[in-house]
Amino acid sequence: MLAALFDSSVWTALAAAAIAAIASILFLRSRNFLYDSLALAVSEIGLVLLAAGIVAGAIAGRIAGGFWWTWDARLTTALVGVLLYAPYLMLRRAIEEPTRRAASAAVVSIFALFDIPLIAVAVNWWLARRTVSLPLSTGWTILPVALLGAALASIRFRQEQQRRAQDAERRTAQEI
Amino acid sequence: MKYFRQIATVAVKDVRAELRTKEAINASLAFALMILLLFSYTFDPEQEMMRQVSGGLLWIVFAFAGTLTLNRSFARELPNDCLDALIAAPIPGSALFLGKCFASFVLVLAVELVSLPVFGIFYRVHWTPQFPALFGVLLLGTWALTIIGTIFSALTVNIKLREVMLPMLTYPILMPALMSAMRLTTSLVNGQPIPEDDFAWLKMLIGFDLVFTAVSLALVETVLVG
Repeated sequence: MLAALFDSSVWTALAAAAIAAIASILFLRSRNFLYDSLALAVSEIGLVLLAAGIVAGAIAGRIAGGFWWTWDARLTTALVGVLLYAPYLMLRRAIEEPTRRAASAAVVSIFALFDIPLIAVAVNWWLARRTVSLPLSTGWTILPVALLGAALASIRFRQEQQRRAQDAERRTAQEI
Repeated sequence: MKYFRQIATVAVKDVRAELRTKEAINASLAFALMILLLFSYTFDPEQEMMRQVSGGLLWIVFAFAGTLTLNRSFARELPNDCLDALIAAPIPGSALFLGKCFASFVLVLAVELVSLPVFGIFYRVHWTPQFPALFGVLLLGTWALTIIGTIFSALTVNIKLREVMLPMLTYPILMPALMSAMRLTTSLVNGQPIPEDDFAWLKMLIGFDLVFTAVSLALVETVLVG
């Protein structure tokens, strides 16, 4: 059950990464901030799900083999994924100017998506011979996890759009 | 042809500026030697286990020391608004970027070529018999380091947390390249040729270089102009 939750959250996070990168490319082409909000929303929720999934995976490993961390290839790849997307959010915090922030974040998102397959393959090669991996078991849990992710992302997306509208109004007021 | 001359002009300018001030290369070299020394307290340099971790150790040194140089790549242009002048200059953004890449590449490689013999002496590894192959891996790994480092150096140059953000962004992205370089280097610094099984890692390293050179060149205008 926990291993299935882990797998489901990894797949959902992977979908989130793909959507974020596509939204980022669309933003760079159209400069429509709608896409930037979408990229931010799915990246954030994907990261949260991935982190929660790693916790579930670690607990599953503890129950199955007695160790919290087993250096399972998928678990390790997921951890690298968290390290890959956490700086994305940090970078957004660090840049004030909206266009600059969106463009920089989009670049990071695109780089990260290209890196994911390489990381997955490399970690797999590195750890393949050494460890017993968690059983592969996605099953039906992917459905509720993906739905939860989509719901949270849509809430976050609306929130971000509202924040952006307020921000724009404040800027206009300041200019006046 | 004109394009290559533009790249060379930027690269030569950067290397010359660095050789005159030596602000990054001195720090980078001192830092590399420092980590090499510090690691000797973690692993017993005379143990056999040292041979298995040598490649990893070496690339951790290169990655950390390289970041110091790469941090300066674009930050050097901030005083007197040199960066704005460079971006406004009548050369393509990709020429500016590649020029800076080659300059950092030369500087990082120089630091690596100094640290390598020191590493060999400290840890008693026989890296000389396989030096040509090792040099090839160094070139590929260093290119990965500089291409990612330079593009993110450009991306973070105007941020307050520049020095913190650059390693945070680059190390996770560099992970496949660093893993390949570590794997290949481990056998080479022990005097053995690359084993048959590890050719896949060589392909990974070359693939990483190609993919991210292409992605960087595609996105460089966005990074420079916003």
